[in-house]
Amino acid sequence: MSDLLPIFIRMITTSNIVLVMYLGLCPFFGVSKKLGPAISMGLAVTLVMTIAAIATWVINYYILIPFDVEFMYIVLFILVISSLVQMVEMTIKRTNATLYNALGIYLPLITTNCAILGLTFLNIREEYTIIQSIVNGIGAGVGFAIALIMMSSIREKLELADLPKSMKGLPIAYIAAMILALIFVFTFGGVV
Amino acid sequence: MLITMLILTAIGLTAAILIYIVNVVVPRKVQGLEKMEEVNEHLPGMDCGACGYPGCFAYAQAVVKDPDELSNAPCATLLQVEENVKKIEAALGITVDTESLNKKALVHCGGKSEVICDYSGIDTCKGAAQLLHGYKKCPYACYGLGDCIDVCPQDAIFMDEEKDIVVVDPQKCNGCGLCVPECPLDLIELVPAGTKIAFLCSYGPLKDIPGREKCQYGCTHCRKCFKACEEEGISAIEWDKERALPIIDQDKCTLCGKCIEVCESNTLADFTKVKKPKVPALSA
Repeated sequence: MSDLLPIFIRMITTSNIVLVMYLGLCPFFGVSKKLGPAISMGLAVTLVMTIAAIATWVINYYILIPFDVEFMYIVLFILVISSLVQMVEMTIKRTNATLYNALGIYLPLITTNCAILGLTFLNIREEYTIIQSIVNGIGAGVGFAIALIMMSSIREKLELADLPKSMKGLPIAYIAAMILALIFVFTFGGVV
Repeated sequence: MLITMLILTAIGLTAAILIYIVNVVVPRKVQGLEKMEEVNEHLPGMDCGACGYPGCFAYAQAVVKDPDELSNAPCATLLQVEENVKKIEAALGITVDTESLNKKALVHCGGKSEVICDYSGIDTCKGAAQLLHGYKKCPYACYGLGDCIDVCPQDAIFMDEEKDIVVVDPQKCNGCGLCVPECPLDLIELVPAGTKIAFLCSYGPLKDIPGREKCQYGCTHCRKCFKACEEEGISAIEWDKERALPIIDQDKCTLCGKCIEVCESNTLADFTKVKKPKVPALSA
């Protein structure tokens, strides 16, 4: 049990899924223009990552390893995650309208986002137990949400900045992302 | 090998069955969302984004919240199917003026403008427009590089090889307007679906660029169409004195074709007869 907190903190800081592992960059730049959608996206990713961590752990240890077909993990994980997210979306849509509106269209969009798939591969490579996998998933999701929220706050301010025309929009966002990544790698790398 | 295939099939089937079970077990009717679901069922469901909302369900939510959105940001694909409009009207308890909302895209260019230089830059209209108003003699001539063709979800815009411009097929076009912002020259306009005579010239304010005169097919402001229409006793064409252009009253027009006949520069055309030619099948 004592290793759960380190896993959680590590996924938020030194192994941050966006800023250190460079996964899920598409939503990181695509949905970070405004704070509202960024929070929705962060929530949706955290939810899907947790579900995916549980489902793929079960598939891996009860189907893939006993039948000795581990080479199929990419295909099966994509299949399982996307169908699970379908179910979750359907359930949320019909039971809780408020939550559905908060998550918005991002829930079905991120079914096979590379951050989510990457996290499940990481769980298997590190040979985590199911509890550790779940904590790893939540940590990665929270890390993703934090990175996205930081980025969107910065980009909202950058909208007001007096920039040369060629730097407006994505170019300055890339530079901001670079500085953020440097901070995550070096500052947290020294502390944790 | 067999085990692998079996496992993949089994997991796929289980996932499908589980989705089906969830679909059946979870109650369909939810408080607060029934109306949106009802409206959403009749929407096209292709999430094209032409209405300005991120998807059809988001549009349904907006429409339920404020029924006026159906007129302010109309769904062009929906308007083509009378039946579905009626169902949504019934669900929301409003009536929508379909006639006035139904639009078609029209490229205001007659084509055949002289090419004054070889262009070998970026193969898009937006790229060509960056370089000194393009490579055709008229600064308002369609380049025919097809930025609009790429975005058209209905596949209604085609390349007219003879005129060297793009043309919209009004039968296929549903007036979603996705092509309008694509044109760097603002040549595409949404016109009412009942338009009969199309005016195919946009030559305008950029008149003082040396070497960029209007092409010989542009409007010469001769007023012949206006006079011909008067003589026929229809008077569907009014003359805009400020811009020296004909304004066509599409309701009065009987499509007699006199104005098209007298127009020496072929600036007027029968809008209803434009049709996308069938692409010949590729033969080996």
